[in-house]
Amino acid sequence: MQILTTRTVRLILAACLLGAIVHSSVPAEAARIVALKSADVDVYNEVLEGFTSVSQRSTISEYDMEGDLQRGKQFLARLKSGPKPDLILAIGIWALQVVVEEIRDIPVVFAMVLNPTTVIGHEAHNITGASMNAPIDQQIALLKKISPHVRRIGVIYDPSKTGFLVRQAERIARDQGVRLVTKAITSSKDSFAALDGMQGEIDALWILPDLTVLAPESVQYMLLFSFRNKIPLLGLSENQARMGALLGLSFDSGRDIGIQAGELANEILAGRSVEDIPFTTARKVRLTVNLKTAAKLGLQIPKEILDRADVVIR
Amino acid sequence: MTLRLRAVAAILLILWGGWFASPADAGDLKNTIRDLYGSQGMLLEPTPLPFFTQESRFQASSLQGLDQLNNQLTSAIGVPSFNSSVAGFTFDIERGIPERTTESLGPLLTERATTLGARKLDITFTYTRVNFTKLQGKDLKNLELVFLRDDANGNGIRDTTGPFSFESDSIRAKLSVDLTEDIFALIGTYGLTSEWDVGFVVPITHIRLNATAHAAIFDQFGNPGGTKIGDLPVHRFGPNSTKPDASGGGDKTGLGDIILRTKYNFLRNYDDVIPDLAFLVEMKLPTGDENQLLGTGGTNLTGLLVASKTYWRSFTPHVNLGYEIDTTDTRQNTIRYALGFDARLLSELTFGADVIGRYKPDGSGTGDHIVDLSLGVKWNPIKSLILRGNVQIPLDKNSGLRADFIPTVGIEYIF
Repeated sequence: MQILTTRTVRLILAACLLGAIVHSSVPAEAARIVALKSADVDVYNEVLEGFTSVSQRSTISEYDMEGDLQRGKQFLARLKSGPKPDLILAIGIWALQVVVEEIRDIPVVFAMVLNPTTVIGHEAHNITGASMNAPIDQQIALLKKISPHVRRIGVIYDPSKTGFLVRQAERIARDQGVRLVTKAITSSKDSFAALDGMQGEIDALWILPDLTVLAPESVQYMLLFSFRNKIPLLGLSENQARMGALLGLSFDSGRDIGIQAGELANEILAGRSVEDIPFTTARKVRLTVNLKTAAKLGLQIPKEILDRADVVIR
Repeated sequence: MTLRLRAVAAILLILWGGWFASPADAGDLKNTIRDLYGSQGMLLEPTPLPFFTQESRFQASSLQGLDQLNNQLTSAIGVPSFNSSVAGFTFDIERGIPERTTESLGPLLTERATTLGARKLDITFTYTRVNFTKLQGKDLKNLELVFLRDDANGNGIRDTTGPFSFESDSIRAKLSVDLTEDIFALIGTYGLTSEWDVGFVVPITHIRLNATAHAAIFDQFGNPGGTKIGDLPVHRFGPNSTKPDASGGGDKTGLGDIILRTKYNFLRNYDDVIPDLAFLVEMKLPTGDENQLLGTGGTNLTGLLVASKTYWRSFTPHVNLGYEIDTTDTRQNTIRYALGFDARLLSELTFGADVIGRYKPDGSGTGDHIVDLSLGVKWNPIKSLILRGNVQIPLDKNSGLRADFIPTVGIEYIF
C-alpha cells in the first residue's frame, strides 16, 4: 500500500512535470494592451518607451488622442465594440479622464498623471497606475534636512484639488516630527492673505501641485515670501528652482514612470487583482538646488543634499 | 495610426527621390550666354587684300565679355533655404498637463533655436518661383556689352587719331535675357531627440534660360558702322562673319543640389532673458547638374549659430549667424546672417518677417552682399497641417542677380 502510494505520488509528480514542460514549451498568447496617449508630447512618448521595455511579451497598440477628449471617447467606443484588450494604458490625465468615464470592465493602468485621485472616483475598481507626484515623505524629509530649525512647514492649498494630499501630508509630517501649517484657499487671490497670515508661523514653505496655488501671481508671491522671511521654499520643478525657489523636486523621467506602470501592468496580467494594487508615486526623483537662493537666505546647504542633487544652480 | 502615416511618408520620400533622380536631357545651359556668338567668340567679315584682315580683332574681347556675363549670371543662381515649423504640445511639469503650443509656428526661411521634438517627422513640399530681372542693378531685358578692338599697331594703346584711329571702334551687343527658376522642394525633418533634428532638402528645379542679342559696330564717336576708309568700313559683319543677331538657351528639369542638415538645441529655457541657442550644420551636395544650371557643382558646408527667445508666448525674435564654406572655390565663402521675428497673430496664424543677408568677403564683385526682406505667413487650419506662403523682396537690387520678388508657397505636415 505504502509502495503503491509512493508510486502514485511519483506518477502524479511526473505528470505534473511533463505538463509543466509542455505548457512552458508552447508560447502563451501575448497580452493585448492598448496605450491611449493624451497628446503627442516627448514625456508621454518616454512613458510608452519605458512601459514597452518591461512589457516584452505583450502586444501594444498606440493611439494618440491629440489632446481631444471627444476623440478619445470615440476611440474607446470603437474599442468596446470589438474584441476587448487585456489592459488599457492611459498616459496622461486626459487619457485617464476618458477611460474613467468609459471603461469599467477592462483593467486600466495610468501613467504620468498628477493627483490621480482627483480624476478617479471611489467606485472605479479597475484602475491603478503610476502617478507623477513626488513622494510626500521625501519632500518633507528634504525640508527637514535643509535646516534643523525647520519644525513648521507652511502649505496653502485648495481643498477641492489637493485636500487629499494635505491629509496624507499631515500624517506623514507628524510621523517625521514636524507640523504642517495649512491655509485653505478657494481662489488664487486668497493666496496673498493666506501667506501673510503665515508670517512668523512657519520655518519653510512648500508648493503643492495644486492648480489654484500654481497661478503665476501666487507662485511669485510665495517666492517673495521666501526671500522676505528668509525661509526655504520647496518647489515642484527645476523651473521653479530657477525662478528662485531654494529646492525643486519632481519626477525624474517619463521613462521611469513608464517602467513603473509596466511593472504594475505585469502584476495585473499575472493575475493579481487591480484593487489590491495601490497607485505609486515617482520612484526616482530629480532634485534641483539653487545656491544663489541659499546665499540670499543665509543657508548652508548640507553636503548630503548637494551630493544627491541632479542640478545645482550656482 | 502614427506609424502608418510615417510609413506612407517614407514611401513618398523614396518615390520623390527616385522619380526625379533621372538625369536631365542632353544639352548645356550653363554656357548659353558665352556661346551666343559661337564658341569662337565674335568674328568679323574678312577684309579683302591688300588691307590687314580685321576678322578676329574683337574675338578676345567678345569672348571675355560674354564669359564674364555668363559667370555673373550662372554663379548667382542658388537654392533658397527652408526649415520646418514648430507645432503641437509641450508639457507643463508643474500642472501635469500638456499645453497646446501657443507660440507661433516659427519663421519661414530662417531658423529658430527650438527643434521639432523627439520622433516627430515633418514633411514639407514647397514651390518657389524665381524670375530674375536685374543683374547688378541692370535690367536683364536690356543688357549691353561693349567689346573693344585689340591693338593693331602694337603701341599699347587704342589710337583715337591718325591712321590707326579705327582701333577705337567698338561693338555694342544688346542682350535680352529671360531667366526663371521653378523650384519644387521636398523637405524632411526628423527629431532624433527632443533637442536634436536631422533633415534634408531635395529640390527639383525647372530652369529656363533664353537669351537674344543684337550687335552693332560703332566708331569712337558713337557713329554706327564704325570707322570707314573711303566708303569701306574697316570692321563689318558680312556673309562670312558671325551673325550680329543671335539667340540661344532652353529649359531643363532635374534634381538640384540636395541639402543635408542637422540642428542641435544646446540651450533651452535657461531663464527669462538668455535666449535659446542652437547650432545648425548644413551640407549642400553637388547632386544638381552644374552644366544645366541645376546645381552649383561643389560641396558647401555651413555652420550656423541660432538664437531665439519667445516673449509673451507669441512673439519670437531670432538671430542666425554663420559661415558657409565653398569647398571648390573659397572666394565664394559666405557669411550668412538673418535677423527677424515670428509672431502669432491668431491662434492658428503666424506672421514672420526677416532681413536675410549673404556677404562674400572675397567675392568677385558680383552679388557680394545680398540683402533681402522676407515676409510670410503660416496657417495651421487643422491639426498637424500647415500651409505657408512667403515673399522675398530684395532690399538692394544693385547687387547680384535679383528678382523683383520671390514667392514661395508650401504645405507641411507633422507626423
